[in-house]
Amino acid sequence: MDRRNFLKNLGIISGIGSVSLSIGNMPLRAFSNSFMKPEAVDGKVLVLLQLSGGNDGLNTVIPYEDDIYHNKRPNIGLGKSEVLQLNNLTGLHPSMGEMHDLYQDGNLAIVQSVGYPNQNRSHFRSTDIWLSGSDSNQTINDGWLGRYLGNAVLDDPNFNKDHPMAVQLGSTQSSLLECTCQSGSLGVSFEDPNQFFQLINGSSADTDPPPNTIAGNQLRFIKDVAARSIRYAQLIKEKADTIQNKVNYPNTNLADQLAIVAQLVAGGMETPVYITSMGGFDTHSNQLGRHSNLLNTLSEAVGAFQQDLKLLGVDERVVLMTFSEFGRTVEQNGSQGTDHGSAAPLFVIGKNVNGGIFGSNPDLSDLDNSGDNKYVHDFRQVYSSLLRDQLAIDPEVMNNVLFKEFEALPLISVKSITSGGPQAFTLDQNYPNPFNPSTQINYTLRVPQIISLKVFDATGAEVVTLDKGYKEAGLYSATFGAGNYPSGVYFARLVSGSYRRTIKMTLVK
Amino acid sequence: MASIVYNSNGLNKTADWDLKSAAHLLSRTTYGYTKQDLEFATSLTLDDFVDNHLLADKAAPQSPGFWVTDTSNTNSNVRYYELTFWWFNLMLTQGLSFREKIVLFLHNHFVSELSVVRLPQRMYWQNKLFRDHCFGNFKELTVQVTTDPAMLIYLDGTKNHKGDPNENYARELNELFTIGIGNYTEQDIAEAARALTGWQVEDLTSYFNPERFDDTNKTFMGQTGNFNHIDIIDIIFSQPETANYISRKLFKEFVHFEPNETIVQQLGQVFRENNYEIKPLLSTLLKSAMFYTDEIMGAKIKSPVEMIIGVMKQFNIQNPDYDYMRREANQIGQTLFAPPNVAGWQGDKVWISTNTLPARHIFSDSIISGRNSDLNIIDFARTYSSAEDAVQFVEDVTSTFLAYPLSENRKTYLLGILLDGAAVYDWSTYNQNAEDRLKDFFKALLRLSEYQLT
Repeated sequence: MDRRNFLKNLGIISGIGSVSLSIGNMPLRAFSNSFMKPEAVDGKVLVLLQLSGGNDGLNTVIPYEDDIYHNKRPNIGLGKSEVLQLNNLTGLHPSMGEMHDLYQDGNLAIVQSVGYPNQNRSHFRSTDIWLSGSDSNQTINDGWLGRYLGNAVLDDPNFNKDHPMAVQLGSTQSSLLECTCQSGSLGVSFEDPNQFFQLINGSSADTDPPPNTIAGNQLRFIKDVAARSIRYAQLIKEKADTIQNKVNYPNTNLADQLAIVAQLVAGGMETPVYITSMGGFDTHSNQLGRHSNLLNTLSEAVGAFQQDLKLLGVDERVVLMTFSEFGRTVEQNGSQGTDHGSAAPLFVIGKNVNGGIFGSNPDLSDLDNSGDNKYVHDFRQVYSSLLRDQLAIDPEVMNNVLFKEFEALPLISVKSITSGGPQAFTLDQNYPNPFNPSTQINYTLRVPQIISLKVFDATGAEVVTLDKGYKEAGLYSATFGAGNYPSGVYFARLVSGSYRRTIKMTLVK
Repeated sequence: MASIVYNSNGLNKTADWDLKSAAHLLSRTTYGYTKQDLEFATSLTLDDFVDNHLLADKAAPQSPGFWVTDTSNTNSNVRYYELTFWWFNLMLTQGLSFREKIVLFLHNHFVSELSVVRLPQRMYWQNKLFRDHCFGNFKELTVQVTTDPAMLIYLDGTKNHKGDPNENYARELNELFTIGIGNYTEQDIAEAARALTGWQVEDLTSYFNPERFDDTNKTFMGQTGNFNHIDIIDIIFSQPETANYISRKLFKEFVHFEPNETIVQQLGQVFRENNYEIKPLLSTLLKSAMFYTDEIMGAKIKSPVEMIIGVMKQFNIQNPDYDYMRREANQIGQTLFAPPNVAGWQGDKVWISTNTLPARHIFSDSIISGRNSDLNIIDFARTYSSAEDAVQFVEDVTSTFLAYPLSENRKTYLLGILLDGAAVYDWSTYNQNAEDRLKDFFKALLRLSEYQLT
């Protein structure tokens, strides 16, 4: 018996020093070459950019005509002649030339005064709140994006399971991608696709199920990470290798991260979520020069990224959103810096973004108890908008992600309608409802597309297909009859490409 | 998942003192141990071993070099590396002492980052402060840290002066170092900042400058007076929650990452009764029945430094390549003197990602292969009396190397790699290809997910 068979017969997996990869119950097709062609991918992508430390919003989006601003910031305030004007009241920090260009092209939205009630000025607690999407008096242990992936992508038959659901650039993974519905993170993290592949090359995973004990659960988590790294390393390297960046990115860590995102998106990865980050925003002292450098790094990297996406022909698919745990004090401190503050603006950037400013400059004459900006937009309104209009989340599961309803903002333009895109179709509530013996389901297709409309029962079993196939744009109607079906809740689901909408219907006999 | 049921007699002394509990104790309090260490520990009583070995006061080590008193900032990178190598060496050679793990705990508690503090000299003196007080009084240590030059620079204490307070240190003192969030108001932070004014740093020393001190009344946590930093710390440590907060952090680091509130409160009580003396608290903790609860054994994910030093200790590497260790620790997420932010390394699952886990494997591979070590794997294998008996050898090695009990399936897997297709009775360390097989075997062992647990 040769060694390989010997090992096989023992039910174990070889791999030390070898390049053969087999991973128990993981699909082997992850390593085949039958990937979808890049041009076949039209899924939307959300890129999050975390600015750690608390970015000084007032010196980023500047109310340059506001006397209170200048009075409270005699040494660090920026005046009319310095800022890059957006309108006659508001300007961008002078080192943000590229982002100013994006604004003028209508590809950059500023959401003013984003935050939450009772701002907690701790970096760590506030970061947790932003990542988890919790209320300020509530502790949630997973991340809003993890819940999105777990509830809307994990079981979606249209999502290509060969591809990671989320990619985080950097060596550690944040709680953002965790979902209590799964052990650990739903994403994969790495710094460089080639290095990642080299690290993994020759590894093997084991499939012994650990016991359901405390230590066993820790072990399961580590095994999952091992399996995930093996599973995706080859694909990620291949996707990155497929595409050369079309612009020269600046030589910064953030630019490196965004350059990789551009390669992977254009290379045909079907991953809907990417996470990038940049630190250093905790400018308690001597902030003028420091903050200027930080914003310059941000602006240059984002500018190159947008240009690259455009040249690579994928700019319609990608939206980038910045966030930071809090803004900074309105008043400068004694060290030419600012301390932990409250609400602040954030940026949403992309070709299909409705450029402009959402909300007005913060009212510096009406501050909170600590003398800082009051929030106007709940941060989850932004999440809600992006989930709905960029990621086309099934409205049914929105509540599992954000727990409450938040009024969405029109951040994404309707010009983004494409076949299979999130706004290419609507599905109205059935009428009548509850119903017996039959109910009518109306839906609208804004562009020609291939759809299916099916009804499922409360257990998720398919009941009937009401319609499917290629359809011209227009208004359609289908009828679902009670027939011999029992009373209860039914769901009608309209699927187009990787997007779907679902309504709940009640049959009462 | 159900919560852990800790051994019911809590902080009462445990009755169990055997090889298994000794292995657990050593894996949590040291950076690695040998079979001989275990035998030595169990030859003593638990009381004797904890009080006279793990918690024994030790002479302060020599400094890493003349440069620690040099006030210039020449060769800072070289000096920083020397400082790291010096600490690695202490971790490796500390013997059966808890000291260096407590020092690392304190580094991760009272965080400063070299990139802000700039001079490695200052990081050395802060590190020495931790070591001098690691078995001493926590409140006294907090007072010392508050005027430590590295800390004054790191959290803007030197910029905090009369008329223009900077609340950076005041906030972290309360939030992260002593009492924790929810136990103070924003007003308390502002008032504490004023009490902390007046401190400046010149080169490597700090001094109090009365000109910059806010010499007026402050109202902090309901008390009013012309407070300075010692008064503020007195008030903080008079709050019962402070003892609980610090006990909770110790629990999370050394017992289990999910704190058990009942036990945390009991530990807090012990801490208060002993006026914040660290040694009696640790002594109670390490002798308690709770500490030896089966469920938490092997449930801790090793930190990068624990993993890296642990590999060196387990293989008894005599001339480690400290620079390689430094680079690898950096790659897998723990650069000494450079925690990610003021809250320090978060630990537990954050250590393990699809990036850092493979990097851990590459590190252990390269030590075993001899690429980055002088390890002689045959000689090492023969330190086991069972070296010529493949099945027993796998049994003995896995039980010394792993805190997590290995399944029979995994043992069979490892045996298969060791034998490489040969029959069990053919195994001998004198075989021609024994070296390669031993290397493959140990690489596979250290690549097991189980190896990352302690």
